[in-house]
Amino acid sequence: MKRDLHAVLTVLRKEIVDALRDRRTLLVVLASSVLMGPLVLIALSAFIASFEARAEQREVFVAGIEHAPSLKNYFERQTYSIRTAPADFEARLRASTLADPVLVIPPGFEAALLRGEMPLLEVVSDSANRQAESGTGRLNRLLSGFNRERATLSLALRGVSPELLEPAQVEERDLASTQTRATQVTGMLPFFVLMAVLYGALNAALDTTAGERERGSLEPLLMNPSQRWALVLGKWGAVASLSMLIAVLSCFSFLPAQWLLRSDTLQALFQFGLREALLFLAVLLPLAAALSAVLMAVAIRCKSFKEAQASSAVVVLGVSLLPLVTVFNLGGEAPWHLWIPALAQNTLMTRVLKGEDFSTSQVLIPLAVCVALTVLGVWFVARRLRSAAVR
Amino acid sequence: MIVIEQLAKRFKLAREGFSFGARKGAAPAFVQAVSQVSFTAANGCITGLLGPNGAGKTTTLRMLAALIEPDVGRLSVDGIDVVARPREALARMGVLSDARGLYPRLSARENIVYYGALQGMAADAANARAEVLAGVLEMKTLLDRRTDGFSQGERMKTALARALVHDPANIVLDEPTNGLDVLATRALREALRFLRTPEGGSKCIVFSTHIMQEVERLCDRVVVIAHGRSVASGSVPELLAQTGERDFEEAFVKLAFQPVEALR
Repeated sequence: MKRDLHAVLTVLRKEIVDALRDRRTLLVVLASSVLMGPLVLIALSAFIASFEARAEQREVFVAGIEHAPSLKNYFERQTYSIRTAPADFEARLRASTLADPVLVIPPGFEAALLRGEMPLLEVVSDSANRQAESGTGRLNRLLSGFNRERATLSLALRGVSPELLEPAQVEERDLASTQTRATQVTGMLPFFVLMAVLYGALNAALDTTAGERERGSLEPLLMNPSQRWALVLGKWGAVASLSMLIAVLSCFSFLPAQWLLRSDTLQALFQFGLREALLFLAVLLPLAAALSAVLMAVAIRCKSFKEAQASSAVVVLGVSLLPLVTVFNLGGEAPWHLWIPALAQNTLMTRVLKGEDFSTSQVLIPLAVCVALTVLGVWFVARRLRSAAVR
Repeated sequence: MIVIEQLAKRFKLAREGFSFGARKGAAPAFVQAVSQVSFTAANGCITGLLGPNGAGKTTTLRMLAALIEPDVGRLSVDGIDVVARPREALARMGVLSDARGLYPRLSARENIVYYGALQGMAADAANARAEVLAGVLEMKTLLDRRTDGFSQGERMKTALARALVHDPANIVLDEPTNGLDVLATRALREALRFLRTPEGGSKCIVFSTHIMQEVERLCDRVVVIAHGRSVASGSVPELLAQTGERDFEEAFVKLAFQPVEALR
């Protein structure tokens, strides 16, 4: 037994050294999975900051403001500054070079308004232009405010109570906590760390199995008097530790990324502290172990690294697509989600971001699934190892 | 000492893809890789397994290394049954197999010491042993270079040192001269001759080859393998006498390529 343990540690150490010397692959993994999340977060914050800046600017782009002095007066009282829309605003909206919707006022607006002819106001935007689209809501609210004011004044002149127009009062109450609202923005975070865990394991998993077969080093390896399960356990341990290392780096990379957030709102909403990072890791580490074993099991059947990459694409696709179930499934969390690897981790990480607690079963079910997958994967690789070496 | 008795092994042929009109439950196709191989390799003696390509040499050696289980027959290493106690048998053998892949990101020394550790050696002992073997195999300058970019001969030396790191009493080499140039072949021959002597440890050396000259120059005993059977054994002069030939190549062709029916 002591000898087997020695063999496990020997293989583990060698595989880790071997993988760490593969500098190029390691750099690619670090760049793509560890830096990607924070970079996207920062880009997103810049995007949101530009929205906020636009909302704070209080500007309206109008074509033909000279036809509507009353509207101009209303805008100015609402402290909006009026900008004349460029002549080619339609083309610029289509090309997304103009980031605000444009209000078009027809000639004779003021006169028609006074005669009660309901003149037409056009709000021109392009639904493919995200920034302009977000401004339409603001512009529409501004215009209905104008309408309401005119209506109220007319009614008041005729001695009718304006309350007749609004028989009921409507008030919005948002149940979402700050953190819940934040998940609308930070919801893709779990996806990035899941990918980081997967890519951390991928290369080493394929190298220690299919790569070893391709090099012709598996056959000599099995001619050592070590138990096959000890060899496989050592290899799995190395792959899982690398994947876990990437998971740790990926989770903690969000901590400094936070300071770089440009949007104050997002900074207030996105609360990712040490506690969240540790909870993320608690969720991810078992998954890293399970994914390592599964990838090795898939790759041991392949004769070459290339073949293994093609086969493992199924696993990669699964891990990237399964979390999408929560996007498509409007029914919210279902109990079966916890039984599906990747989906379960995604669900739990989303709960962490929302600031919600876990129940015992929510922790234990995904953990049990991961342990089962790990055991199954390691067992399968150990069973296939000898026939894989010879063929 | 290695003893192989009445060894036989057949493989099921893997069916590739779909085949139209294949009946379900049709009897699987088999190929008889080894049908009857027996020989004894003594200590302090170089035994050559000589046979044409596909004769069953590699399969036999793989069974000896406990990679494949034989259907019939017995293999023993220093009296240890390979099938029943494979790990003890492997601890007494150094095998240079047909596949001799190295880890390209590790240095030659790391490759050797890794196997030493797997054989249960302490790091210091394995390191010292790597130095000794590097001296014997004339590869001291290679020791601390990464094996990526090694030539065939350098790879072979590293793989051989790796197989011998635990100083095994029995050395099994599968076609060790494949891809080696004259100088490297010569160096290997010298190394094997040294290992056979009492100073070298009186090792029991078995090596397979399809090259006549190797056998003539090096082997104390020759086992001719053809069609999965050991068809003749003895020293080179004995085999010449048996066939009545003066040229060893002629003798080998006579022994190895006689009609299959004659063997039954």
